[in-house]
Formats: sequence, structure tokens, C-alpha cells
Amino acid sequence: MSLRQWWRDLAMGVRFAFAGGREGWVRALLTAVGVGLGVALLLLTTALPSAVAVRHQREADRTDITYSDKIIPKAADTLLVASSGTTFRDTDIRGRELEPEGPKAPLPPGVGKFPAVGEMVVSPALKELLDSSDGKLLRARLPQRIVGTIGESGLIGSAELAYYRGAEGLAAQGITGGRITRIDRFGNPSPVQERTDPVLVLLVLVVFVVLLMPVAVFITAAVRFGGERRDRRLAALRLVGADGRSTRRIAAGEALAGAVLGLVLGTGFFLIARQVAGSVEVFGESVFPSYLDPSPLLALLVGLAVPAAAVLVTLLALRGVVIEPLGVVRTAKPSRRRLWWRLLLPLAGLGMLYPMVGQGRDGGDFNQYLVTGGVVLLLVGVTALLPWIVEAVVARLGAGGVSWQLAVRRLQLSSGTAARMVNGIAVAVAGAIALQMLFAGVEGDYSEDTGYDVSRAQMQVSVPEGKTLAATARQLAATKGVQDVYAFDEGYANDGQGDDAHFGRVTVADCRSLRQVAELPSCHDGDVFASHVAPDADGSGQHNADGESGVAAKPGKTLYFDTSEDPAKPTSVTWTLPKTLKQARSIPDPTGYRRGGILVTPGAFSAKAAAGVRGEIYVHLDESMPDAREYVRNTAARIDPLEEPMTWVSVKRNDRFDTIRTGLFMGAVCVLALIGASLLVSQLEQLRERKKLLSALVAFGTRRRTLSLSVLWQTAIPIVLGLLLALAVGLALGVVLLRMTGTAVRVDWPSVLSMTGAGAAVVLVVTLLSLPPLLRLMRPDGLRTE
Amino acid sequence: MTPAGSLLVADELRKTYGPTVALDGAQFSIHPGEVVAVMGPSGSGKSTLLHCLAGIVPPDSGSITYNGREMATMNDAERSALRRSEFGFVFQFGQLVPELTCVENVALPLRLNGTPRKEAEKAALGWMERLEVDDLRKKRPGEVSGGQGQRVAVARSLVTNPRVLFADEPTGALDSLNGERVMELLTEAARSTNAAVVLVTHEARVAAYSDREIVVRDGKSRDMERVV
Repeated sequence: MSLRQWWRDLAMGVRFAFAGGREGWVRALLTAVGVGLGVALLLLTTALPSAVAVRHQREADRTDITYSDKIIPKAADTLLVASSGTTFRDTDIRGRELEPEGPKAPLPPGVGKFPAVGEMVVSPALKELLDSSDGKLLRARLPQRIVGTIGESGLIGSAELAYYRGAEGLAAQGITGGRITRIDRFGNPSPVQERTDPVLVLLVLVVFVVLLMPVAVFITAAVRFGGERRDRRLAALRLVGADGRSTRRIAAGEALAGAVLGLVLGTGFFLIARQVAGSVEVFGESVFPSYLDPSPLLALLVGLAVPAAAVLVTLLALRGVVIEPLGVVRTAKPSRRRLWWRLLLPLAGLGMLYPMVGQGRDGGDFNQYLVTGGVVLLLVGVTALLPWIVEAVVARLGAGGVSWQLAVRRLQLSSGTAARMVNGIAVAVAGAIALQMLFAGVEGDYSEDTGYDVSRAQMQVSVPEGKTLAATARQLAATKGVQDVYAFDEGYANDGQGDDAHFGRVTVADCRSLRQVAELPSCHDGDVFASHVAPDADGSGQHNADGESGVAAKPGKTLYFDTSEDPAKPTSVTWTLPKTLKQARSIPDPTGYRRGGILVTPGAFSAKAAAGVRGEIYVHLDESMPDAREYVRNTAARIDPLEEPMTWVSVKRNDRFDTIRTGLFMGAVCVLALIGASLLVSQLEQLRERKKLLSALVAFGTRRRTLSLSVLWQTAIPIVLGLLLALAVGLALGVVLLRMTGTAVRVDWPSVLSMTGAGAAVVLVVTLLSLPPLLRLMRPDGLRTE
Repeated sequence: MTPAGSLLVADELRKTYGPTVALDGAQFSIHPGEVVAVMGPSGSGKSTLLHCLAGIVPPDSGSITYNGREMATMNDAERSALRRSEFGFVFQFGQLVPELTCVENVALPLRLNGTPRKEAEKAALGWMERLEVDDLRKKRPGEVSGGQGQRVAVARSLVTNPRVLFADEPTGALDSLNGERVMELLTEAARSTNAAVVLVTHEARVAAYSDREIVVRDGKSRDMERVV
């Protein structure tokens, strides 16, 4: 066989891919769109590592707060930076105050000119928010004139909310290296390579495999669109002299044409998605289009693997078909599907994962190749087992009503087609179930109970230097949406000045606030209490008890408060415990602490010692008031622009864990949509192939409901089997992954059932969407031949 | 034209598909037990006439009366019920459901009428015996020859004992020997049940099995008997 002949056959296949007028083009386009969607998703995946790296780099390039003890001296190239970030609703806003100290002060990335006092430069997303009616509340907190926008190089996402505003007198507020710092360049001077938690690596690997497997299954389904018609075309070619091998090469050429067109469309879809990605925010994450540059090597791999897979799948599909000159003969009795090798795949997968059981418990690394290989084999096992299960079950299904009989008989005749249709869903659901179990299992390890009692207070505001507790509390209490405030001056005092002096906590507050931290026998302004943490406290809310104060709380005892601003020059003031010292029993305060030590009402405290304590105010909100938190933030910003009130939550999650979870949800949405599209296309194609038959059935009086039901059964039976298999494999994989991480095995049934339900919902939606075309195809027009 | 005793009568039928005029004032009538051949060249409107007469496609204008009842007054469900119980159909390529066995295909119209499966298949087998294809009962349409498949389709069209049998080029895909056998069996079976047969064909030798011939040309029909 000459190369020329090969080339001729392939070229003829390419021509056939688009032949047949409108119908030919529609068929080629369907395949190309299917392959294209898969290619776009693969290209997006290849672009993710670069997106993460660019994001990380940009974050590093704009680092300013160094938390270093060493404060560099003021110079022509220094800049004072103060962190003044805030939160609007649930979104963090990165904010910095800038005060250049000389003409060579470094500009932050993305900023062309320092904003003057009363001016700010903002990110495009923040500008849009501030200009909108929605952002009015935020505008009250950021009233400065907007003089420019931050460029892409200074932001980590297109939807990031960020600003830089001009400031003066920052040095007077104390350069600590923390909240206010002096820098001569942006960027982290001492970057630290963080070691990634092996369990998180495991999660990321599994998420990738689980999301990409259905895409691969989808692509293989897409290249088989229009298969029956192609077989008939090949039979016609046999009649005019093409031999069996030649027809296979022509079929390969056809598949290649569809795949290459799919690659072109996929690249187009990817470029569109890349642009769209720049204008959307999903689960609080956004990117710039420029972040999504596929790794050249991976993109090349996609470009080669997709057409190769298309040809391979087509040739494999032709195995069971004998193309004779007078028609296509499907091997009348297809060879019975064998179970043994299908079982080997998931068993081999389990075998690869088994050696890593328990490894996560002691922080050991997982072998990435074994994890990926094991999960892939398990999920490929689903695609291998499902056709066998569908065949075995439908062969045993009895005849029922006409619609049931039509569906069952069709499934018996070609159970492989049905299994292929649901393979993608089954793989996605199996993977998602395993991941849900893993997430639910390790969630406890990555979530922390903060101990805050959010029923008593929801926000905390620190009283800034130079402001009094009472005045700040009054301002907050008068704020819209605030139900109550509990205000405390807190500090520590020694009972002597020598090395043997004891150290104890002192809390100054009015009686109403003190009742939030201790059970008081009676309380009037001027009272002082010694608060005890009962040794047999029931532990409720005892997140971190201070324990018994080290200070022996005896009437007449003198306490020393440190009032020095510079640790090198200690100064202290004294205050004496009154003779009427009362006893109190500590209860968990709203932050969850049980505080011991001395509780003092303002009337009993010395004005001189006030410099040795610092004010903290717990704010109880009226939760029925929309945006109550925003009003508090606005008041706090008025009191001190650098003050960011703390919003309490009862459970805190590891951020990185949240990111992976977010990734899974985003991916699952894309994959389910993709599979849904694939199912719909296959369904429509099957219906079109049967147009004439459907019309004939209607002609002799078949009810439309009967035919619609038969389509539903035809989809529902394999789907139910697929979901059951997915449930079994997903649970098995979930158990193995949990044991690998050393976590107790627990099935999170609500999420398992919701995943299964989501898979079933996709099928239902696809069936509903295919009903209108089905009804159209059932019109008698289908009988017309001319 | 409403000849006395006619079972199915059509008058002044008009039907267009876009710019194409398929029927242009066509007339038709048939008596119980009568075999009428509708002849004409390709594209003349024969099949459209059959589809209109069977209530599959509504005409743009004109009237069709079946057993004294105007079809235009029936809704889609009523017309479907009529086709299920009173009419039978044979198409050029059989249009058997490929995934059902031959006996299940023949029993299908009865099952659509609510007849229990066993009873329907028993009746189906009886018709398959009459049409000499009872040995194919377990085979699927893909496993039988064209002539055998067409006989199965004829059995399916007769299983409900229809009063009118519509046959659209029933031998169009068969060789002459097979075609003749199918026509013999079809007309014989129809006569034995007093069913009227509307036979659309363009072959004179097939039309020879009819009692009367009608020619359709450019959407207009002419009764051959009156011309000859």
C-alpha cells in the first residue's frame, strides 16, 4: 500500500466529513463543537498552573508590610505604608495609605503617580462599585477623590477591590513594621517557600483527575456523532470498489477532520472563555485574561492527543461492524462482554492506592504518580464496567408496557451506545462523591472553632490611641444597626517591681459590660472585683481561660501599670486595690475566654493608670438590619481610618482548603454542563436517525406520550445503573482516600445524595430538552420522501 | 363526488408544501372491500393524497369523510385513535421497529390499543402464519430479507382488522417475484376481511391487483375507468 493511497483515502475521508449538504455540515459541526468544548476545557486546565503562578508572583511583587523588627531610616527613596484594608459585605478590600518621604520613593506596581492627601487610586472593580448605587455605603468610608486606576500589574484579579490613598503624618502614629511600615521597595525581601500540605496536594490531584476524566469520555463520545450514517456511506464506497482497509482509512480521515475542526473551534472557545474569564468572578475568585496562557508543551500535547484519540476511537468503534458493499452488517451476535478484565482496572487502581493508606496521618508525602494512576484506573474502571452492567441487566429485563418494551428492546440491541452516553456522568459523579467524602472527612482538620459567641456580639472594635473608650463606645452605640455595645479597657498589671512580681489581668468596664465576663453578686460604679476561674468550670466556652490571676488580689495591694511607649524606657503608674474588694466568678466572655484577674468599674479606676490599658468594644448587632456591619465599619473608619473592625465567625476555615473546594465546584459546574450538552447532542442525533420510523409509528396511531416515555426509559435505565455504579465506586474511592489521609471513615450522605441527584437532574433536563425536537420529529412530514 | 356506499371520500383536496403544489383539487372515493390503485409519476402527489386520506396530514382545503364523518372535525387524538383501530399501513421500506422481534412488531398496533401482550402476540402469530412468515417470529428485522420484512409489515397492518389499508409503494423495494407474492397475500388478506385498500404505486403490474385505478398528475386525480 503506497503512502499516496493512504493520503488519498484520508483526504477522501476529510471531504466526506463535510459532504452531504446542510446535513453534512451540521454533523461535522456537532462533532467539532463537542470536541471543541472538550479541547477548550483541556486548554483552560493547561493554563491553570500559569494562572496560579502569575497570581502568586503579582501578590509577591506588591508585598509591602514586612513585619520586620528592623525599621529602615527615612531617606529620599523611602515610603511610609499603612494598611487600611476593609471589608464590604463579604468582600475584602485591600487598602493602603501611602506617604512618600522623598522624591525617589518606590511606586506600587500598577500605580503611575502617588495620590496626594485626599486622593486615591482604585482598582477598576472598586471604581465601578463606588460609582454604583450599591457602593454608596462604602463611599462614606472611602470619600477621597479618585484620581486614577490601578493597572493590571498591581492587581491579582480583574474583580479585585483595592485602593491606594495619600496620607500624611503616618510616622507620628508609630512605625512598627506591622500596621505602619517604612519601605524602600515593593516585593517580599525574604520569600519563604511554603511546604504544601500533602493532604491538600492529594485533594488537588484528585480534583484534576475527577474533572478531566469526564472531559476525555466526552471527547470520545463526540467523535462518534453521526456514526451510523457514516457506516452507510462507507458501505456505498465498498460497492464502488473500496476495500475494507481503505474504508477504515476513509473513516479515520473523517474523524480526523472533525477533530481538527474541533481543535480550531476549541481554540476559539478557549480564547472567548479567556476574555470572559476576565470579566467574571466565581466564588470570589477572578483572573485577568493574560493569566490564562496555556503551557506550550501541554497545549501541544492536547493538539496531538485529541486527533489521535479521535482516530483511535473511530477505528475501535468499527471493530464490531462489517462494512459490506450492500450494507452495514453489525456482527449479529456481538461477542459477549467479559467481566474479568473490566474488574481488573478498578482493582489495579485500588492496588496502587493501597500502599499509601495511613500516610497522611504522619504528614508523609503521597506519590503523585501512584495517586493519579490509582484514581484514573478506578474511574476508567467505571467506563469499562458500565457497558457490562447495562448489558447484563437489560438482558434480564422483562417486557412491560409498549413504551417500556420499546426502550428495553432498544437497549438490548445496543446497550453499548446507552452506556457510552452515561459514562461521563457516572465518572463525574463517582469522582465527586469520593471528593465530597474526602472534603467532609478532612474538613474538621482544616476548620477551627473560634470560640466566639456570635449570639452575644458579632463585631469587635479596638479603641485607637488618643481616643477614649467611653466616647468610642458612644459613637458605636449610636450607629444604625447596633443593638448594644460592651466596652472594656483591658491591660495587665504587676503586684511589684522586682523580678518576683506577679502579673495579672485588669479589666475596666461598667457593670453592664462586666456582667458579660463574670457573675457579679451586686455591682455599682466604684466597685472592684477579684474574678476567679473556677477549677471545675464546665468548660463550656472555655476556649482559652486566663486562669487564676497571678496577682494576689488583696485589699490595699498596690498594682503597677506599664505606661511606657518605648520598651527601652519603662515607666509605670500605680493603683491600689480598694478595701471593699468583692469576689466574682468568671463566665465565658463573648470571645469565649474566661478571664480571671481584677474587674474594675470606671469610678474605682485611676485616671493616671488609664494609659496602661487599651479599649476593646464588642458590638451586638441588630441582625434584622441590612448592612448593619457596614454602618459599624463606617463609624470605625470615621474614628480611625486605619482601624478595621473584626467580624466574628464561629468557625474559621483554612483558606487554601476553601480555594480547592471552590475549584471543585467551578470544575464540576463546567463538567456537568459539558456532559449535559454531549448527552443532548447524542440524544438528538439518535432521534434524527429514527425520524422516518418515528413518523411511521405515529402514522399507525402511536400516542406521542408512548414514544416520549420510551425515550425517557431509554435514558433512565442506563442512568440509574450508571449512578448506582458511580455510587459504589465513589464510596469505595472515598473510603480509600480517607484512609490514606488517616481520617475516620464517615459517609456524608447528604452530599453523596446531592451529587447523585445532580447527575440525575442533568439527565432529566436533557430528556426534557430533547422532547420538543422529538415531538417535531414525530410529525407525519417525516414520511415524505420527495 | 360522494358515491353512495363509499367508506372514504375526498373532495377538492388542496395541499402545498411551500411553493410546491402537491394536491390541486384531487377527488377520491373507496367502498368497503374495494382495492383502489393510486398511480402517477414521482412527485405527482400520490403519497400526499394517501397521507391526507389517512388523516396523517391535514389538507389545506377540501373535505375528507370517513364513514360519514368529516375528518376536519376530529382532533389529533381522535385521528390517531382512528388510525390505530380502523386503518392499517404498509410503507415502502416496511418501517419495522429494528429492536423489536418480528412478532413484537406485528403485535405492536394491538398493544397500542391496549390489548395484553400475550393476547396481542397470539393474534400476531395468526397473521404471520397467513402471510407465511411465522418462522421469523423471534428474529429481528435486521435479520430477515426485504421480502420477508415486507410480509411482516403487511401482517402488522392487518392485525387490527382495519377497515381501510393504506399501502404506499409496498413492493417498491422488492424484486418482482417477492413483490408479486406480497401483493397476492395483501389483497387476499384484505378481501377476506372486507378491508378497503388504497394502494399507492407507480408500477402497472402492482396496480393490476386493484379493482379500480386512479391517476394523479400535478396534484389532480382522474378515475381511469371513466377515461378508458
